[in-house]
Amino acid sequence: MNYDLDKYGLSKEELFARVDHSSLESEKITAPRYSYWHSVFRVFFKKKINIVILILLGVILLMTYGYPLLVEYDRYTNLLSSAAKHLSPSKALKEMGMSIHWILGSGASGQSTFDALWTGARISVSLAFVCALINMTVGVVIGALWGFSKKFDTFMMALYNIIGNIPYVLLISVLVMLFTPSFWTMVFALTVTGWLTIAYFIRTQVIIIRDREYNLASKCLGTSIFRIALKNILPFMTSVIVTLAATEIPSYISYEVFLAYIGMGLSDMSLGRLIYEAEGAMLTPGWGFEFWSPVAVASIITIVLYVVGQNLGDASDPRTHM
Amino acid sequence: MVKYLFKRLLQGLVSVVIVVACVMVMIYSLMDRTLIFAKDTNYSHQSNNQKVAYRYEKWETYGYLDYVTYADYLNDLTVKGEIDEDTRSSAVSIGRKAKKDSDLVKEYVQKFTDFYESKGYTVIRLDAVMMNKKKYAAGGQQQLFAYKNIPLTTRLAKYFSNLITVESIHDVPEVEGERGISFTLHDPVYGGEKFSPAIIGNGTTHKYLLYFDNKFPYIHQNIIEINLGKSYSVNEGIDVATTMSRAQGSFLKSEITYPSGLTENSADDLHTATYLKDSREASMVNETRFVDDYTNVDTVKAGKSKIGYSFTIGIIAVILSYVLAIPLGILMARKKDKLIDQIGTLYIVFIIAVPSLAYIFLFKAIGGSMGLPTTFDMESSSKLMYILPIISLALPQVANLMKWLRRYMIDQMNSDYVKFARSGGLTENEIFTKHILKNAAIPIVQGVPASVLGALIGAIITERVYVVPGAGNLLTEAINQYDNGVIVGVTLFYALLSVLAIILGDILMSMVDPRISFSTKDR
Repeated sequence: MNYDLDKYGLSKEELFARVDHSSLESEKITAPRYSYWHSVFRVFFKKKINIVILILLGVILLMTYGYPLLVEYDRYTNLLSSAAKHLSPSKALKEMGMSIHWILGSGASGQSTFDALWTGARISVSLAFVCALINMTVGVVIGALWGFSKKFDTFMMALYNIIGNIPYVLLISVLVMLFTPSFWTMVFALTVTGWLTIAYFIRTQVIIIRDREYNLASKCLGTSIFRIALKNILPFMTSVIVTLAATEIPSYISYEVFLAYIGMGLSDMSLGRLIYEAEGAMLTPGWGFEFWSPVAVASIITIVLYVVGQNLGDASDPRTHM
Repeated sequence: MVKYLFKRLLQGLVSVVIVVACVMVMIYSLMDRTLIFAKDTNYSHQSNNQKVAYRYEKWETYGYLDYVTYADYLNDLTVKGEIDEDTRSSAVSIGRKAKKDSDLVKEYVQKFTDFYESKGYTVIRLDAVMMNKKKYAAGGQQQLFAYKNIPLTTRLAKYFSNLITVESIHDVPEVEGERGISFTLHDPVYGGEKFSPAIIGNGTTHKYLLYFDNKFPYIHQNIIEINLGKSYSVNEGIDVATTMSRAQGSFLKSEITYPSGLTENSADDLHTATYLKDSREASMVNETRFVDDYTNVDTVKAGKSKIGYSFTIGIIAVILSYVLAIPLGILMARKKDKLIDQIGTLYIVFIIAVPSLAYIFLFKAIGGSMGLPTTFDMESSSKLMYILPIISLALPQVANLMKWLRRYMIDQMNSDYVKFARSGGLTENEIFTKHILKNAAIPIVQGVPASVLGALIGAIITERVYVVPGAGNLLTEAINQYDNGVIVGVTLFYALLSVLAIILGDILMSMVDPRISFSTKDR
């Protein structure tokens, strides 16, 4: 075959060029550097909606933890002035003067709804984070052990079958009834069996991955179980764990609201308690803000946390890193 | 298969017993007992020794301990015939202090102490609290009593042995006429002429043991009675099972003929007659109406029972949610990543993330503005009031079902059998409804018994928000009022239902999918 090399703008010498063998060069891998967490955030921030939601989450967290520090909230400051009670935002602004405290009106004892909201949100969000942290840590560790050990499995299954039959509401409410309903009691009530469902979920996942070929190979090469769990299985589970956390954190806020509504909530001011106390105001014309603003804030917090968690879970799945 | 299920059922029952034991430990041993007096005005009005005695008395009624006073002990001895009435009346008056007892009193106090201490009781003697030499302080009278905490094993054994009682003709100590069971083809409640078979007992607690009437399920029995536990404060003296299943609302009067032949416009339900000793002597009304002492009757009421309301709402919501969620889930899986899938996902996120309380109130507000009744009224005949509770229960269930059905269907869509079916020339419709759905529905089917039985329990928030007189609130009400009997009873009921639901779910799953087998031979 005779190619017209001039047509392609190539000279005869350029077709092949000799490269000397270099043992150092041949060891180099020329794929781009891969860093797991770097890729997670790259994928996460590729979606523009995530940035918006993250900013929203930042603002909410700033308000929940920052605002109560700046404002001294006292429920009963206006208790004696009857003109301050149950005001709609416009009336409150007119009555009490232009101030950020009154943009959502006032409540049953003349307190500022806006202040109450963030003081309550701080307790509720803290409760959710603390409970999620405890349950996730205990659940993941026990779940991993549960998935690996056969002896532990029979014991844990029996335990799971028994505790699974106790209605969750009953357990929490009896525990709340036993102790005074303070923050840490509530944490105790929500975590005392809460880790079990997470552990069971993790156990199932571990069992699915445990017997895969690469783990078998790893075991044959003499890797210790602990190292297999840490290096082979845990990375696989990251996205599962993050997704789980995304549903767990909002669920504790929901639980808190639910418990407060049935009269077993915290004695401190929380979002649930705000909703519970303002229930009567829901249908009274002009008082609606007292009820709907904590409901709206609770919903926004849970939705934002959920969406961030879900998207982070998606991003932490290595299969999306292509 | 049968052997396996039997084993599962047995395991389930064991776990139910353990659950009940756990709850008993929690409420009887761990809980601070003085909490029950928090709202008790009788308690706060009393003082000194009387207050102490009242406390133990209440603890006995709430089932914490066994409490016997010295006077009770002496009464018991008199009834048994060991001492006569004169000895009793002089022995009963103990001195203000132990030193001041007369010899007779000393002897019996010693007997009382020895008798109960040997049985593991603690005997407490409270000396009189005096204002001055002659006058007692308020509630300061001297007290002597013994008490013993009921151990868990005794409590459990007693609870489970009393769980089911079967009628016998020797239930009632004294009865007129011959003890026995008779069968009649013409129920006397209907005047004795209409054909209606019934079994009537004499000497049993209930008069009518088996009878027919015009209410579902038309045939009723009183032979076996389930006692889940007596209530102290929620519904005083009534068993939990009765509290849940008894009709509520206003009386439904009709023309009825009493056994004596008297015809009256009344709401009494003669079929529920139970024996009440000497009740005819005690009341003129009973005298004119009845010919025997089976006079304690229940009343016919217009409304449904607690479980009745919960179940009606719950079961319609369950049916509605399956009817809606299955086609929607299929649609979402078919149009994956299209608009309909995104709208569906948005809805699912909304339901998962927003606190249930918030969206139920939202549904209530929307429904209210559309003119639907937002509160439940037992007296109203309108069926419209059922709509909002049903919707509030169904919509979250729809989201949950849709979420899983979509997930399972998408997982199945990449399977080889689907590709094969497609290459074989089947239409997408056929592939989705006949092939993928059948496989994806297996885990969904397992949850069906749980949701149906769950409808019996009732929904706490929904029922509270719409003021439905259902069973969902019973547990929270009992907890708020420290009604230990109800708490234990409701726990047992919930635990039994959940054990049953899991087993039924597995049976249903193995029926739908022949690949799943529970018998060891096939495995």
